[in-house]
Amino acid sequence: MSSSPPQPSEPERRGWGVDVGLVLWPSFLASCTASLLFFAAVDPALLKDAGPHLFADLDREAGYALGFMFFWVIGAIASTLSVYLIRTERRPRRKAGSGPT
Amino acid sequence: MTPPNLKLVPTPEPAPFYAAAEKIYPREISGRFTRMREIAVVVLLGLFYGVAWLQWDGRQALLFDLPARKFHIFALTLWPQDFLYLTLLLIIAALSLFFFTALAGRLWCGYACPQTVWTELFVWIEQWTEGKRSRRMKLDRGPWTTEKVLRKTAKQILWVTLAAWTGFTFVGYFTPIRTLGAGIAGLSLGPWSTFWICLYGLATYGNAGFLREQVCKYMCPYARFQSAMFDKDTLIISYDEARGEPRGPRRRGAAARSAGLGDCIDCTLCVQVCPTGIDIRHGLQYDCIACGACIDACDEVMDKMGSPRGLIRYTTEHALHATATHVVRPRMLVYASLLLLAGGALVYSLVTRMPLILDVIRDRNALYREVRGERIENAYSLKIINLDDKPHAYRLGVSGMPGLELTAPAGPVTVASGSVSNIPARLEAPAAASGGVHRIVLTLTALDAPRIEVHEKTRFIGPAS
Repeated sequence: MSSSPPQPSEPERRGWGVDVGLVLWPSFLASCTASLLFFAAVDPALLKDAGPHLFADLDREAGYALGFMFFWVIGAIASTLSVYLIRTERRPRRKAGSGPT
Repeated sequence: MTPPNLKLVPTPEPAPFYAAAEKIYPREISGRFTRMREIAVVVLLGLFYGVAWLQWDGRQALLFDLPARKFHIFALTLWPQDFLYLTLLLIIAALSLFFFTALAGRLWCGYACPQTVWTELFVWIEQWTEGKRSRRMKLDRGPWTTEKVLRKTAKQILWVTLAAWTGFTFVGYFTPIRTLGAGIAGLSLGPWSTFWICLYGLATYGNAGFLREQVCKYMCPYARFQSAMFDKDTLIISYDEARGEPRGPRRRGAAARSAGLGDCIDCTLCVQVCPTGIDIRHGLQYDCIACGACIDACDEVMDKMGSPRGLIRYTTEHALHATATHVVRPRMLVYASLLLLAGGALVYSLVTRMPLILDVIRDRNALYREVRGERIENAYSLKIINLDDKPHAYRLGVSGMPGLELTAPAGPVTVASGSVSNIPARLEAPAAASGGVHRIVLTLTALDAPRIEVHEKTRFIGPAS
């Protein structure tokens, strides 16, 4: 009784391309902002001294690029979670007859 | 007969998504707003492609030199220590967006947004290679003839070249563009420069060539929240429903009113010219980038029909309701004063910017030291940061206590441009006069430019008396 067939009147199925866009685009914007603020205060050359020789051969340009990618990946993970939570949310079923407004 | 509501109405047709979106063929148009937009494109892109090549004092005039971590802005050189200016600049940019949006709607979108500006340029190329709207539609529908292949290839070659040049120019603001150019010519470009040029070129090509209005519709956050900055006194592009409806075709010169018709002849030109493919007659929509193309199209039609211009026009909701429009209103005053405040702070701090920083740290090991029996010595470490774009020799001075003398550094201290120098300093005073804690001032002055001078407070400590 509680199980119901998928409703044909659900909002039209959107391709996964949309979700990819929703993940990559806001995280890209966030990454731009984060890189700007972070690298204004922190010199990527300092990364050389951080960690166990992980960044030993890193020059500044590589530091900027890796930092940008890092922020982008973190942002993308957050966006993925948001999209996932929104997509898998259980919504109240629409009453029959009341169409989309 | 209600005037268009300020609330954003959803686009009436079910909004298509991404690739499924129907291709929009904006019709070419001329008129006041189109000319303004063309001027904006020429000026802004001219600045973008041109300024990168300007020289100043033997270096690139505008260069955000990330590898060296310094920004050259004509005569000014900024270091990471000048972070404040970046913050102020971002605040000013945000406030300007609020101010101009509240005043005149989406000026940014219509005239200045890189998305609009580059799309315009790409559409010009498209019109030049593939012809006008009807020809482009026919070309796309038709079979792959030699002409089609040639026209499409020509377009792609121009697009790719332009996109590559754009990527090159963009990266040229972050690494010296002449070196970059030489690197490309000699095929010796670094991997990161290559990567960023390709990325920005690809983004330009994709955004201006293919995504176009979809960026504004689906990707732009500003388009979604701009309505929060709108009120009934904001200039928006509106269709005068009271005047236009009921719409319908009629013969030229026919008395429309007596036939029960409004001024809109339903020619749909306003829809055909729209770069985002909306019908402005449905009211204000968030897809509208306020480019004014529909105004130009409609004015032309009204001229031909012998009706007054302005069936579609820049107006406010208050004006459409025939009530007074207030340009000066609390919101505008708040935005304007915040803008003036931030702008004033930026100008003031730039004008009074002292290209020298002195940090004084007292020696942590000993409060004081007795030397030669009758004198007391305190030790400090000084951090001198030269933010000027040339080296300076500085003289250190002390004041604030009788008999206080500097014993080290002995002579002037030279610090290279943009670098930090850590040096020890020692002060001495007669034991008789140095009991307790004294507030003293260290002064650092550039020998060749007395204007460059900083004062730093610190303490001189003697034996408790």
